[in-house]
Amino acid sequence: MWESIYAFVMVPMVYIAFGVFVLGILYKLYVVLSSPPIKGTLGMFPQTLPRPIGVLRDSLLVPTAYMKDKVFWFFIIVFHAAFLLLFLGHLELIQEFSIIQIIPHKIFLGKGFVGIALIVSTLYFLFRRFRPPYSLISVPEDYMILLILFLTMIFGSHMSMAAAYGVMGFDVSVADYRTYLSSLVAFRPVLPAGITYSPHYVILVLHIFFANLFLILFPFSKMIHSVFTFIAHNTKRK
Amino acid sequence: MDKQKIEELKKLIRSRLNRPMRYYLDLCTRCGLCYDTCHVYQGIPKREYSPVGRAEVVRKVYKKYFRPTGKLFPYWGDAKELDDTVMEELYEAAFSCTGCRRCMAFCPFGIDMPHILSIAKVLLIANETAPEELVMLTDAAVEKGESIEMFKEGFMDVVKDLQKNVQEKLNLPSDEGLIPMDKKGANILYVGLSGAHSIVNPAIIFNAAKEDWTLSFFEGVNFGAFAGDPEKMDFIAMRIINEAIELGVNEVVVVECGTAYRIMKFLMGKQPFKVSSIVEVAHRYIKEGRIKVKEGAITEPVTYHDPCQLGRNVGVFEEPREILQMLCTNYVEMSPTREYNWCCGGGGGLVALDNEEFRIKSGKPKKDQIVATGAKIVASACENCVMQLGTIQAGYNLDIEVKYITELVTENLIVE
Repeated sequence: MWESIYAFVMVPMVYIAFGVFVLGILYKLYVVLSSPPIKGTLGMFPQTLPRPIGVLRDSLLVPTAYMKDKVFWFFIIVFHAAFLLLFLGHLELIQEFSIIQIIPHKIFLGKGFVGIALIVSTLYFLFRRFRPPYSLISVPEDYMILLILFLTMIFGSHMSMAAAYGVMGFDVSVADYRTYLSSLVAFRPVLPAGITYSPHYVILVLHIFFANLFLILFPFSKMIHSVFTFIAHNTKRK
Repeated sequence: MDKQKIEELKKLIRSRLNRPMRYYLDLCTRCGLCYDTCHVYQGIPKREYSPVGRAEVVRKVYKKYFRPTGKLFPYWGDAKELDDTVMEELYEAAFSCTGCRRCMAFCPFGIDMPHILSIAKVLLIANETAPEELVMLTDAAVEKGESIEMFKEGFMDVVKDLQKNVQEKLNLPSDEGLIPMDKKGANILYVGLSGAHSIVNPAIIFNAAKEDWTLSFFEGVNFGAFAGDPEKMDFIAMRIINEAIELGVNEVVVVECGTAYRIMKFLMGKQPFKVSSIVEVAHRYIKEGRIKVKEGAITEPVTYHDPCQLGRNVGVFEEPREILQMLCTNYVEMSPTREYNWCCGGGGGLVALDNEEFRIKSGKPKKDQIVATGAKIVASACENCVMQLGTIQAGYNLDIEVKYITELVTENLIVE
């Protein structure tokens, strides 16, 4: 039975998660764009930079967070930068991208520290919510999402670190990951024996299970901020 | 609360789900960066007076009825059903907020919290629990718009009396036509308030500049916006827009009232005339040499309070400062200032409500700012702000004078 559950998580659930993720975001955008616009503008002043540059600066560098809480801002930047690097790392697990290899590295930049940086930032966000005033405004969703992220990352980091067990033959090879992920992308899913017979298979399943959950929840939770922040900042600068 | 009422209120929420509302409601991560950015929270540090605390009351109701997660798993986002307790929370949220949008300046996503609270206000009106004073004032403004012909004669008589003040100030031989009304083809339509100062001081400035202008029959203040009734807000603003179009003016100049100016300039769509604040116009006249003021006439320390609706919400920062720097030898800037300036606590119609103790407490950051400047004169360019600064002055026993920018300009006008 467990084998079937594992196989479900590794293949059909991944498709479901990506489907919900993409369609969910498109649906949310549709809902926004099909809602009536306001006849005026909700802009705020002064508007010192040209709008597209200002929107990118406000969305990506979060200067207001820097003004208000420098420690929080530091972890916001670390978290999002690490997230981006890990996204690139996962692309390299599908196939080789020469552009990502501008900085020559083994797969996953940062030798595992990027994942650790992400875990530390997530824990910071989580523990920050345990004390007032943040605990007073938090709802279960806020904790649950951080827990899902933490679990995704802790299992993912383990898989990354497991490469260090290579000499003992415990790790999953890059070639096996590429076979698995590129087969998913090609809609001809294959689960190589190198993955299913690995002692770390269950850890990988857990990593993918929580990542799937994250993707499913993404459009319907506050994580949609990563899309809507650009739209809202554009409104602020109109 | 019965089912029928809840259905009626749900429909109202849906009617307010415009484009920005959709993303503002979904966007907040409850990071808490806005938590202490509200002057009310600074004066009364309670969660319900934090911007996120206020917006969450609306957001939780929205989740309950409009989000699948709220319908299926209300626990997930703490979704709440509409009931009398929630309505009370909505009241506290909506009518403790001045709509200053200081929180928006600090929000990492730029969420417009007062825009979210507009949902609370329409629900309160429908529930007949909105502040009676604001509802009555709104209805009076609507009534005036509907039967303006009945009001015209009385208003013209009052205005006629005010012409004498203009004549005296400018040493003119006659008071005839100093405050023109109903003048077709005038260059400017000036929109005042019910207070004489809001007509006399601008009239002095217009006459000194030899402007071709006319006074509106309507007051600029928009109680529909304060009460949160979007249809009536539009109607009240449209009275002036229609008047301007009928008279064929080139420019509508709005009294020192931040909300009136923001509504006319940014919230009513594109108009066939230019919209300016009287402060911008006075500044323009000085720069063009159409009026002259006594430079450096005021030697006492003077500071400027940026009205939120005129400053961060419309972008008029420089003109009032340049006027003051011209008139004063000791101009002191507040800290923080400009877009991060603390709200005085009088906006959003709050000065019209019976809540003086609350406003004195919520005015604490402004009081601290004023005291830190050591200013003896606090100038501002908004009726609500000047009234609230007066309340702060009395409440904290401050040794200051509160003045309008136009008041300072007319007091120091060189009459030729």
